[in-house]
Amino acid sequence: MVRLEKGKFDDFIRSLAEDYIVYAAVTTGGKSSFKVVASAGEIDEGRLLTDRSPKEIFFPHSEVLFEYDEDGIRETEKAGKPIAVWGLRGCDVKSLAMLDKVFGTARQMPDNEMFEDPYWKRKYDNSLIFGLACNEPRSSCFCNWLGGGPHSEDASDIFVIDAGDVFLMQPVSDKGKAFIGKMTDAAGASAQDEKRAAGASVAKASGADEKKAAELASGARAMMAEPPDLDGLDERLKGIFHEDIWEEMSAKCVNCGACAFVCSTCHCFDVQDEGKGGKGKRIRIWDSCMFPIFTREASGHNPRPLSRDRFKQRVMHKYSYFVDNYGESLCTGCGRCVIVCPVGVDIREVIKRVLSFEGKGAR
Amino acid sequence: MIEELREKVKKLLAGGDVELVIGWEKGSQPLSSTPVFIDSPEEADRLVFDSTCGNNPAVYSTKDARRLVKAGKKVGVVVKGCDARSLSLYVAEKQVKRDNIVIIGVPCRGVLDSDKVEELAGGREVLEYSEQDGKITVRGKDLDLTFDAKDVLSASCLACIYPDAKEYDIFIGEARDGKPNKEQNAAIDEFEKLSSEERWKRMEEIYSKCIRCYACRNVCPSCYCNECFVDQNDPQWIGKTPEITDTMIFHIIRNLHVAGRCVECGACERACPMGLDLLLLNRKAAREVEERFGYVTGIDSGEKPAMADFREDEKQNFIMG
Amino acid sequence: MSNTYIPVNMRVETIAVEDKEKALRTFDLVFVDEADGKRFTYMPGQFCEFSLLGKGESPFGIASSPTETDFLRFTVNRTGSVTNEIHYLREGDTVGIRGPLGNWYPVEKFKGGNVVIIGGGFAFTTLRSLIVYMLEHRQDYGDLTVIYGARNPDLFLYKDELAQWQKRDDLTLHLTIDKPVEGWTGMTGFVPAVVRELAPSTENAWVVVCGPPIMIKFTLPVLAELRFPDARVYTSLERRMKCGIGKCGRCNIGSKYICIDGPVFSMEELGEIPETP
Repeated sequence: MVRLEKGKFDDFIRSLAEDYIVYAAVTTGGKSSFKVVASAGEIDEGRLLTDRSPKEIFFPHSEVLFEYDEDGIRETEKAGKPIAVWGLRGCDVKSLAMLDKVFGTARQMPDNEMFEDPYWKRKYDNSLIFGLACNEPRSSCFCNWLGGGPHSEDASDIFVIDAGDVFLMQPVSDKGKAFIGKMTDAAGASAQDEKRAAGASVAKASGADEKKAAELASGARAMMAEPPDLDGLDERLKGIFHEDIWEEMSAKCVNCGACAFVCSTCHCFDVQDEGKGGKGKRIRIWDSCMFPIFTREASGHNPRPLSRDRFKQRVMHKYSYFVDNYGESLCTGCGRCVIVCPVGVDIREVIKRVLSFEGKGAR
Repeated sequence: MIEELREKVKKLLAGGDVELVIGWEKGSQPLSSTPVFIDSPEEADRLVFDSTCGNNPAVYSTKDARRLVKAGKKVGVVVKGCDARSLSLYVAEKQVKRDNIVIIGVPCRGVLDSDKVEELAGGREVLEYSEQDGKITVRGKDLDLTFDAKDVLSASCLACIYPDAKEYDIFIGEARDGKPNKEQNAAIDEFEKLSSEERWKRMEEIYSKCIRCYACRNVCPSCYCNECFVDQNDPQWIGKTPEITDTMIFHIIRNLHVAGRCVECGACERACPMGLDLLLLNRKAAREVEERFGYVTGIDSGEKPAMADFREDEKQNFIMG
Repeated sequence: MSNTYIPVNMRVETIAVEDKEKALRTFDLVFVDEADGKRFTYMPGQFCEFSLLGKGESPFGIASSPTETDFLRFTVNRTGSVTNEIHYLREGDTVGIRGPLGNWYPVEKFKGGNVVIIGGGFAFTTLRSLIVYMLEHRQDYGDLTVIYGARNPDLFLYKDELAQWQKRDDLTLHLTIDKPVEGWTGMTGFVPAVVRELAPSTENAWVVVCGPPIMIKFTLPVLAELRFPDARVYTSLERRMKCGIGKCGRCNIGSKYICIDGPVFSMEELGEIPETP
């Protein structure tokens, strides 16, 4: 573990920006999202959770797959600098790792690159992720229901704890270790190397630092309520697929896409062509299974005609189907859906209702 | 007040006067309530009414056809003034039969704009909330603030002309008459003073933040088309991206489609996860309709809606621009 | 890294109009770049995303058989905006193709068995691929029985080929139309009823059913009545699709994605999916 004094944070970000496209939480007009920054001053450190999900860094709301004109197809430019993301909360770090399974070849023959999504891969694979510990989780947070925690290091390259005057940085992945190693090396030999001056700001963390980190971690964990046992939720959901309980659970849902669009793991998309006169582009755009048009076929037939069917699909996909395919729920408990739902649907209540349901089909 | 409401609802359900009552119950978040469907007297104690009740429950009387009036069964709807206007509009537009709904008015003091509360709380999470005599108190960790309700009310409420239902079957307490609230229309006055380029710019500022989730449309009582034009793909009328060219088309067409039908309840704006000022254009359109056709939406269910009516004496100056 | 989202160019070699109303057209395509053709190996039952730049993509089952090496065949029913545009194509035009996508009919498993193929309407495309494939590898299979229904005689696909098959003694072909029409010498009646009437033997048999949802819905109980085990009955599903490689989520049904886990499923597999296909 190393320590970075906050007084040197700006130098750190500026130096990072020389080698990386740096994304961090930025608030404009009252709403926050991950945006490219060049200095620490642009970063909103107070935010626990950005309003928009960071998935858009690697999987933008709308993304050009290729452009075309009379000469044929032109693939969009491949990335230049690698991406570094500063300050992702544990839930969001985990969500990116989940999406990497989807956009990678986790489910198909791993040697079949046909199934690899190049647009995601070329950005995510080279990225450097700075996870940021949550010292004060919100009431909407439920990462601990899903195997996460406010100080979870999982899937971060470097795990950062805000310890008041300093950021404590724990390298996690090999990439993270290499980065921290380079920084500490630079700190050792920095005097002549002005460009690497930022490195001078890191020092080995002290015993007091380590103690402080442990205190913050246990304090944060204590702030979160005891989670229910979700073991077997996936099978239970399948068991009650045809029960009326869905009618009750989905009654107030108005089938908008707010939950899906702020969700850090929802990844369904549409593909559209835009252009005229032989010139244009093919793009992909976020879509949501909540929308009737999502599955409606050209004939007019819709396999999921009812609001209830679509509500159920979203729950099933997250807590059952994804488990079958990837061994975990497609939810990290970030709670964004809980915060934004315009009619107050709280996915935690839905899960609890499913767990307590004692009708037919429940085990 | 709330006890009276619950008792009334219990009686309605117990006596078989209604099959179902749509209202609000406490939400899972500190500053929230959530729509609730009460179908037995025992459940009526779940009902709440306070300034967190920002949804327009009228929505469910068209959107949730299953729940409404299965072959002529009666449904009770607990309503603020604006929600009642939606029901009157539905009757006028023949979306529901007046006889099939029991309108239960509750006295509204305005509903919260949670973005405003959060801003005043300065990023600290609100964990508790209470209201008394026009004052709102929020508490949380290192947070204990009391402010005037009007500082955190939704923009729609600040400009409200009919806080209580005009048309109702039951009113809890005493319904106040509506009163013009011209002084709160500064935002529209300002907008009208802008040049058309400036107006366009203002609209671009607003709609560039849209993420196309359609929460505004789906909580809107006036947006009840079976199939919205944005959901049609053959032909596809509009691009699907979050680029301004596409979002602007969506919002402007929606605005025009609810012109003369919008009850200015503000549910759209409160629903928006990105905090768009969605009321500006809607309220501008409502003012236009009132000035040109002398029509205020949802005040009299017997009156033909402005856009469904033609009178020889109506002002036609818009034709000449 | 290859990019599966980029279509390869194919040239429209021939276009055949299948019906009088010109709602069904068959396109034979050839690869513009021979190297693309060499890379493109497929099996009966797989599909492609047919791409028209500026108009979009639509998934179609491959109607040609891998044994027909010099063209790729698609039959397109005009239903929506993309299929409409496809119908405007002329011979010589260039189109884009992404594929082959999805799984295929288990022709290896079928080896040594009798195969009953039941088709309806214009969903006969990949069944044609399968039949041609099996005829080409005729010695690998036992009896081949084909039951094919259409609303009226005009709506059968590949009429010339059907006529040739009828003359063969190594394939039994039953054609049926919904209602009697003058001059029609085949069978009359809906596919499920015809299947019940013909009652194909279950002995060492595999069944492939492909057609409109309503036909499948009523044929499956008949097959159950005839005691075909679910594990030996296959069908091919259709859903809206976009990416074709299991990312976009559109064709998700239960834990499966039709584009990568299907489109071919046995009834046994479908039985485990909670959502009705």
